[in-house]
Amino acid sequence: MKNIPKLVAVALTLFATSAFAGKGGSNAAIVAAVNSHSTDAIIAEVERAEGLICSDCVQTITNLTEDNRFAVREVAAWWFAKRPGLAKVMSDQMKGDLASGTSLQVRNAADFVGAIVDYTALPALRQAMGRSLDSEAKLAIVHAVGYMAHVDGNGILVTAMGDADPAVRAAAINAWRDILGQVSVAPVEQRLTDADAKVRAAAATVMGAYGDRNAVSALEQLVVTDKDPFVRRNAAWALGQIGSRDASGALLTAVNDKSGLVRLVAKASLARLQ
Amino acid sequence: MKLKLNTIAIGAALLAACGSSDSPGPLGNVDSLVILQRVARNDMGDIFQYTSYIPGAKLIKLSPPTADGTRTVLCCDKAGAEFANIDIQAYDISFDAKQIVFAGKLSDSDHYGLFLLKLEDGSVQQLATDMGRDYVSPIFLPGDKIMFTTNGVVKNLATDTSGAAIDPMPPQHVDEYERGTTIQIGTINIDGTNEQLGPRNLSHRTAPSLASDGRVIFTQWDHLGTENSGHLMFMNTDMTELREAFGKEGTGASNSTLKAQEISPGRFVGIATARNRTINAGALVDIRLGHVSKLDNGDVVANEAMSEANASYVMLTPDVPTDNSPSANTIGRYYDAYALDAKEHPALLVSWADGPVESSVLGAANMSADFGVYLYDTATLQRHPILDDKGTWDIFPRPLQTRTAPAVTSSSIDGTLGGQAMIGAMNVYESTLHTFNPGEIYGVRVMEGFSSEEGFPRMFGTTMFEGHANLGVARVAADGSWLATVPANVPIHLQTVDNFGMSLFNEPVWFSARAGESRVCGGCHEDRAKSTIINPGITQAAAIGPTNAKGLVARANRMSAVTDLSNANLIQADGTGADKLVGMAWDKAVQPIFDAKCTSCHNGVANSMNPSYQIVNPVTGASTTYTFDLTNKPIQMLDEDGMAETWPASYFFMAGPDMEAIEKNNLMVTGTPPCKTASGTPTLQCMLPTDAHNSPAIQLLNPTKLFPQPDAAVRAFTSSPHSTVGGYAELTPTEFYKLILAADMGLNYYARENNPHSSTY
Repeated sequence: MKNIPKLVAVALTLFATSAFAGKGGSNAAIVAAVNSHSTDAIIAEVERAEGLICSDCVQTITNLTEDNRFAVREVAAWWFAKRPGLAKVMSDQMKGDLASGTSLQVRNAADFVGAIVDYTALPALRQAMGRSLDSEAKLAIVHAVGYMAHVDGNGILVTAMGDADPAVRAAAINAWRDILGQVSVAPVEQRLTDADAKVRAAAATVMGAYGDRNAVSALEQLVVTDKDPFVRRNAAWALGQIGSRDASGALLTAVNDKSGLVRLVAKASLARLQ
Repeated sequence: MKLKLNTIAIGAALLAACGSSDSPGPLGNVDSLVILQRVARNDMGDIFQYTSYIPGAKLIKLSPPTADGTRTVLCCDKAGAEFANIDIQAYDISFDAKQIVFAGKLSDSDHYGLFLLKLEDGSVQQLATDMGRDYVSPIFLPGDKIMFTTNGVVKNLATDTSGAAIDPMPPQHVDEYERGTTIQIGTINIDGTNEQLGPRNLSHRTAPSLASDGRVIFTQWDHLGTENSGHLMFMNTDMTELREAFGKEGTGASNSTLKAQEISPGRFVGIATARNRTINAGALVDIRLGHVSKLDNGDVVANEAMSEANASYVMLTPDVPTDNSPSANTIGRYYDAYALDAKEHPALLVSWADGPVESSVLGAANMSADFGVYLYDTATLQRHPILDDKGTWDIFPRPLQTRTAPAVTSSSIDGTLGGQAMIGAMNVYESTLHTFNPGEIYGVRVMEGFSSEEGFPRMFGTTMFEGHANLGVARVAADGSWLATVPANVPIHLQTVDNFGMSLFNEPVWFSARAGESRVCGGCHEDRAKSTIINPGITQAAAIGPTNAKGLVARANRMSAVTDLSNANLIQADGTGADKLVGMAWDKAVQPIFDAKCTSCHNGVANSMNPSYQIVNPVTGASTTYTFDLTNKPIQMLDEDGMAETWPASYFFMAGPDMEAIEKNNLMVTGTPPCKTASGTPTLQCMLPTDAHNSPAIQLLNPTKLFPQPDAAVRAFTSSPHSTVGGYAELTPTEFYKLILAADMGLNYYARENNPHSSTY
C-alpha cells in the first residue's frame, strides 16, 4: 500500500485547486462512500473533494488507487492530478512499480499514470510492456497509452498488437485510432487477418476510420467470407467510409447477408460509393 | 410474491375504476404499451454517462396496458444469436408505430449502436454508424431521420489557405470535471445513410426529445468555470439554432433537468435531480416555458412568449428530493415520465422506484433500485401500478400508437461561409444580464474552448477553467452590431471588451454553430420575449463585413507563434498584432513580462516589496509561509523530505490559493497578503479569472488604452500606475494585453502553446 510522507502531504494539499465545481467533500464522506461499496458514491465523493484541503484524504485516496474497480482507480488518479506536487510523488512511485512490480502493481500504476496523463511515464510503460505480465496489466498499459494519445506510445501499441491475448491486441488497435496526430495505420492493417474475430473487427473499424484504401481488398474478403457477423459488419462499414467503388461487388453480396447486423450497414455503405 | 400480485391486481382495479362508466380513463385509448426492461444496476455513473452495460435487456409490449395484460417480447429473443447478450439503453417509436429504433450493445467488447426493429415481423437491423463509437438516446425525426447522441466527433474537412483540412481528425471533448468522453448530437437517415454530426458543446449533450413545434429539446451540461449544471436547450432538427430553454441563471428546479418530454406546446415534464448518485432519477417537474393559457378543450399550454425569463415550473412530486440525498420509503425517485394528456394536472406514465434511490445507501445494502411502471395521477399524487418485475428496471413506458410528425425545422446554410460559421448580434447593448454604458463596448472577444482531450494533464491551472484560445475581437459598430466568422463545430464563448481590452461582461456558457450556419442574436442575451429594434436595412456590421476570428484556420494553427509570444512589442502603433495573441501559456507569454519588468523587485526576498503571509492550521499549529514572488521558481516546500515542484511562484501568487477551501478547513491566514482590491481590502488573489477589470494586479498596473490603437496617455483607472510608483519601465501595450488576456481567459497555466503533449518522450 502506498504512503505519502504526511508532512509533504499537508504542505502539498495547500495548493488544492479552487473548489468551484467540487464542493462540500470531506474525508469522512469519502470513507463512508468506500464503505458503501458503491462505485458511483465513491466517484461522487472524490469529485466533491476536488479542491478540498484535506491531509487525511491523501491516504484514503491513495488506497483507492489500488481498488479492484477501474473507475475508482481512475477518479483517485484524477484527484491527484489536481495536485501536481502530490501527483509527481505518486507517479514516481508508480514508475518504480512499472519497472519491477507485480502484475497487479503494474496494472494500478499504469492506470494511475495514464489517468493523470504523465507523459514522462511513457518510457516506463514501454519497458513494462516488455516484461512478463498478465493480460490485465498489459491491458492497463495499453489503456494508459490510449489516454495519453501520444505518438511516442506507438511502439508500445505495436508490441501489444502482437500479444498472445486477443483482448490486448484489440485494445491496442482501438487505442491506435485515437493517438493525436497518428501517422499511419499500417500496423493495424496486418490485424485484418488476425486469428481472433474481435481483433479483426477492431482492425476493420480503424481502417475504415482512417479511410485507408490499401485495406479495400482485405476488407472485401472479410465482408463476404468472414464467419463472424461482427467482422462482416465492421468491414462493411469500413468499406463505406473508404468509399472505393471497387468494393461495390462485395457490398452487394453483403446486402443479403444472413445477419441483421450486416445488411443495412452494407446497403448504407453501398450508397456512399455511388 | 402473492402479495405483490394482489397489490398489482388491486392497482389494476383502481386503474379501471379511474374512469367512470362513460370515461375510459387516461389509458382508455391505449391498446398497448412498449416498455424497456433492463437488468437492475446501481452504478450508472452521473446523469450524462452512457456506457453502463449488463446483458439481458428486452423491449416488451404489454397489451392491454394493465398488470394482467399480455406480455410479448418485441426484441430481441428472435433476432439471432448476435443479440443474445444485448443491453438496450433507450428507444423510440416511429410516427407510424411500425418501427422502433433503439440503442443496443451486443457484447462487452462492442459499442452501443443504433438498431431498427420492425414490429410487423420482429426483424432487427443495425444502422451504419461508426462501429468504434457509441450511439445512444435515439429518437425519430420527421423526414425519415433519426437523431442520437454519440461520442463520435464531427470533422471539418474544409481547407484553410494552405490547403490543409481545418479539423480532419479532432479528438472528442472530454468533460473537464468528470472526465467522460462527451456525447454530442447527430442525425442519420432511417436507412443508415447521411450520418451528420452536430456542433459540439465542451461537455455533454443528452436525452433529446421532439417537440410539437418541430424543435428538439435536450439536456446540455454547462461547465465553464463556476457553472456546473444540466439545463434544457432547444435546437432545430438539422442541429442549428441552439437556444436556451430552461434552467440557466438559477431558474431551474434543481442542479440538472433531464429527460424532458412534451406535455403540450411549451410545456414539458422532466426529471429534476442532482448530477450524480441518484441513479439518473429524481423529482417530476411540469415546466412551462412561456405564458400559461388554457384551451377550450381544457388543455394547458405555455407556448406564448417562451423564454427563460417567463419560464416557470410546477413540482409534481413535492416530497421527492431534488438533490442527491436518499429518498424516503414511499417517496422514492422517478426515472422518466410521459404525459397522457395535457390537463392542468396531467396523467403521466412513469417509471418509479421506492425507497432510498441513492447510490451509497443502495450500495451499502447491496441492492439496486427497482423501477416499475406506474400511472401517476398528478392531481391526487397517487401512483397506480402497472408492471414491476423484480430484478429488472421497467422504464420508458410509451403507448404504442401513431403520432403526428411535426414539421422539419432548419436554418438556411450559407454555402459561401465554407467550413466556418458566422456569429454576431444586432445590438450588443441589448442585454438582460448586464447594463452597459452607451459606447463603452469596443468589441466582442471570441474565445474557443477545449479540454484535456488535446493532451493536457487533466487541468489547465488552478482555477478550474477549461482551455481557451483567443480567436479575436470583433469590433462593435456604432449601431451596436457586430459579426465574426468563427470555426464551425467548436465551443465558443464571448466577452464584451472595452478600449483597454478588458472584459466588461463574460458570457458564462459555451455555444457552437454548424458550418455555414449564421447565428446572429438580437443582443447580448437579449430579452427572448421581445423583438430587437434596429434601423431599417442591414446592420452596420453586415455592411462592413464580419471580423475574421480564425474561422478557416486549422485547429493546429489556432495558437500563437512562439516568436509572437515573446515579442513585447507585437502590437503596433496602428493596433495591428493584437489578434496574434491566441493562447496565454503562462511560461511563454506571462512569465517573460514578470522577468523583464517585475522580478528585480518581486523575487521572494522578504521585504516591504515582498510581503509574507502564512496559512496556519490552528489545530495542529502547522503553517507555511509564502513571500511574494513573481519569478518562475517552484514554490518551495518547507518539509523534512526536501523540495517538491508545484506551480511557478508567479502563477501561484497571481491565482492565489483556494480561499473557499481555507475557510472551510478553518485555516487561518496571517501576515500580509500581497495584493489589495480597489477598496483597499487585502487579498491573496492578485488576478481574477474572467475578470481582468477587477483584478488587483491589473488595477495596480493600470493598463493603457489598446483599442482601436494604443494610446499611452489614456489609462484604465484613475490611480497612479505602478510603474510611476515602482520606478520601472512601463509595460508595453502588448505586455498589458497579455496580462489582461491571461486573466480574462480563465487564468490558466496551460494553453496550446505550452501543451506538454507536443514534447517528445
